[in-house]
Amino acid sequence: MHWNGKDSTVYQAQKEFIDTAVIPLIQIDGSDEGFQFAASAADFTLSLANVIENQFKGRIVLFPSFSYTKSQDKQLVFKDWQEELNKASFKHIFYVTSDREWSTMGEEQNIIWIPSVPLDSMDQKMRNSVLEDQLRQLIPIFAKKWAN
Amino acid sequence: MSNNKVSRRQFLSYTLTGVGGFMAAGMLMPMVRFAVDPVLQKKEGGDFVLTEKKIADITEVPERVDFTFEQVDAWYKSDITNSAWVYKEGDEIIALSPVCKHLGCTVNWEADPAHKNQFFCPCHAGRYEKNGKNVPKTPPLGPLDQYEVRENDGFLEIGKAIPNTLV
Repeated sequence: MHWNGKDSTVYQAQKEFIDTAVIPLIQIDGSDEGFQFAASAADFTLSLANVIENQFKGRIVLFPSFSYTKSQDKQLVFKDWQEELNKASFKHIFYVTSDREWSTMGEEQNIIWIPSVPLDSMDQKMRNSVLEDQLRQLIPIFAKKWAN
Repeated sequence: MSNNKVSRRQFLSYTLTGVGGFMAAGMLMPMVRFAVDPVLQKKEGGDFVLTEKKIADITEVPERVDFTFEQVDAWYKSDITNSAWVYKEGDEIIALSPVCKHLGCTVNWEADPAHKNQFFCPCHAGRYEKNGKNVPKTPPLGPLDQYEVRENDGFLEIGKAIPNTLV
């Protein structure tokens, strides 16, 4: 499900089945050296999030990405999202990111860290096959967390 | 010689017929065009999409085939890639939609080691038999949709989704 009016109606009706929130985390970097890399990583993360949504459409809600700058307090971000999404009774929250820093913050936070692949120079077909490959590796991760 | 001369009366009647004919045609033409317009309408997309899959390569094991078509959303055009599970049943080619009938996840062939020879939906463990029939006591309530298929020069073409005809 996407975060839009039509899908959220389905969500409200099928809450027992749709129990997972997916939030892409996107780093914004304004510095000369990091600008291009951050943009490319954002492109990758968002594309991957869409592929994940397509695969698990009936069990997840893909939220709009959360963009942050380096200096923001990451722990606080977790807390806020958690509190808000608990109101909507999500059982699982997954964060998808290619920013390494999140992955060092503890397993229990459900971070899915995937190193970014530069998709810029690829044509559509190549992009799709790269993303499909990544998705194949993610399916067991989701399945495992859901099984617990 | 004299019988070739055009009289004033003849001249006037020819000219009036000619001009009148043009005027009548000017009125009738648009009417006729409006009347036959539905027949001349060109069919909008929706037809078959050529894939890169050779007919000869299709086996009895369902295999994923991607196909891309252009979708026009108001003024915004985008390429949409869909996929189908394609296999051969005797001489017939079957293409099933991978969209789970429960809540729209993507199903995969033999994705669950415990249930060989079935499609499996990882979201809520929905299962389908090879012909798309949903396995009772799993969440899906109907069989997988089917795609229309045809051959074009040795390659597979996939058309629009239709309700499953195999179950």
